[in-house]
Amino acid sequence: MPVLAKLTHVETKLMVREPGAVFSLLIPLFILLVFGGGISEGDTFLMPMAVSMALGLVGLYLLPTTLATYRERGVLRRLSVTPVSPGNLLTVQLLLQLVMAVATAALLLVVGVGFLGARAPGPLGFLLVFLLGTAAMFSVGLLIAALAPNGRAANGFGVLLYFPLAYLGGLMQPVEHMPDILAVVGRYTPMGALRQSLHELWNGGALEPLPLVTMAVYAVVLSLVAARSFRWE
Amino acid sequence: MAIIEVTELRKKYGDHVVLDGVSFSVEEGEVFGLLGPNGAGKTTAVECAEGLRRPDSGTVRVLGLDPVRQRKQLSEHVGVQLQHTQLPENIKVWEALDLYASFYDRSRDWRELLDRWGLADKRGARFGKLSGGQKQRLFIALALVGDPRVAFLDELTTGLDPQARRATWELVKRVRAEGVTVVLVSHFMDEVEELCDRVAVLDRGSVVALDTPAGLIDGVDAEYRMSFRLVDAGAPDPDGLLGNLAGVTSVSRTGDRVTVAGRGDFVTAVTASLAREHVLVSDLRIDKRTLDDAFVALTGRSLQA
Repeated sequence: MPVLAKLTHVETKLMVREPGAVFSLLIPLFILLVFGGGISEGDTFLMPMAVSMALGLVGLYLLPTTLATYRERGVLRRLSVTPVSPGNLLTVQLLLQLVMAVATAALLLVVGVGFLGARAPGPLGFLLVFLLGTAAMFSVGLLIAALAPNGRAANGFGVLLYFPLAYLGGLMQPVEHMPDILAVVGRYTPMGALRQSLHELWNGGALEPLPLVTMAVYAVVLSLVAARSFRWE
Repeated sequence: MAIIEVTELRKKYGDHVVLDGVSFSVEEGEVFGLLGPNGAGKTTAVECAEGLRRPDSGTVRVLGLDPVRQRKQLSEHVGVQLQHTQLPENIKVWEALDLYASFYDRSRDWRELLDRWGLADKRGARFGKLSGGQKQRLFIALALVGDPRVAFLDELTTGLDPQARRATWELVKRVRAEGVTVVLVSHFMDEVEELCDRVAVLDRGSVVALDTPAGLIDGVDAEYRMSFRLVDAGAPDPDGLLGNLAGVTSVSRTGDRVTVAGRGDFVTAVTASLAREHVLVSDLRIDKRTLDDAFVALTGRSLQA
């Protein structure tokens, strides 16, 4: 088997054995099921919230914890004295985390639209928002992975960032109920922009450019900063 | 032919000089030791040879290659066990070996390595569940799975219990018997004495001595002792007989036990003299000089302190 295929195979097995990955997949689904009993066809809050939350968990929690733990344990360093560059492992991890993001979003769509009676969003618009949102969340995760000294710190940073971002993004309560100033700030956070775009999709209207641009800017800028500050050991 | 050639290596971190002109060469097939206290620069020197660090100046050639610029090419022929490195907690023993084997153009059969390193019954165990000794054996197996010509082993037995250390030493001897050149970094005297053909003693970033372990010990002109029991308790005081022999510095007697202190090869002179005078002795003891004595003599302080 070629090296990359084998690396992907082993990393997939490791991810499946990691309880954190399973939790990230199940928590948004659980929330959707708990609150989704009374979901109506015109609901524009629950599905955007669950999808934003799911992408946030993968990007802010799963991705940085895995990468920082690998660095802390010297896994990347050990690889760099073999013919295989540790960059291969990072690539495989990013792909796997993307698969996780796809899986968790697909699960929510199947359950939400298929069983709870939520409306299906336009596929092309959803694909665009999903990709931009995932890129923005992953770039925050990469920055955490670059700056955190170890896996536990990465985990802590992720959790510490998750709740304020989720609150500002309007995931905890509808934005109409938030203080104006926080709602405005929230629009410019990655999770707020993601939720807003998803909201527009489920609302059936056109996608506003501002949240899309916000997500794209986060993705590009934070990824560049992360790449510059990433240490292999 | 030298398989590793290190010349005038210098490395600074900020103002702190870690390597201050380190030179040594390692011959093919030997076990070469780098001995010294923590902070002496051993690991940095080895990391320069592994291509993990770039020296400020000086040259390193391993198998004739530059470890930094030709890292990928070199890594096909070099096996490494790094200090403080772990594997993912949930990887199974066979998965790690199988994965690492796939990294190399030419690799060894990892199933055979499992048997050889006594890990066959741990094949399906997760890394996190292994004992310290088992982890260390897995690390050695991973260092060898690419069928290397040179293996770097850094602080191999730190943190292991005495039994596991002895067992690990046997493994290193086996690696050498297979024709792999071994560079062993250690701060344990007994380990180096047991395993190494030659040793470079590092202290504060410099090589202060380079010799065989026996050569280093012989080079020390420290006083040591021998003692024996006189079979005939009524024998005359041996002071007159032994006191003037070459190398002897003092002779003392408590009851029938005589203790002689001296330098150099005074033991041969003492035993020859006793035999010539037909003095029968029993329970002969010689305090073995150790590499630790050599280290104290070279650096002015003890390694174990």
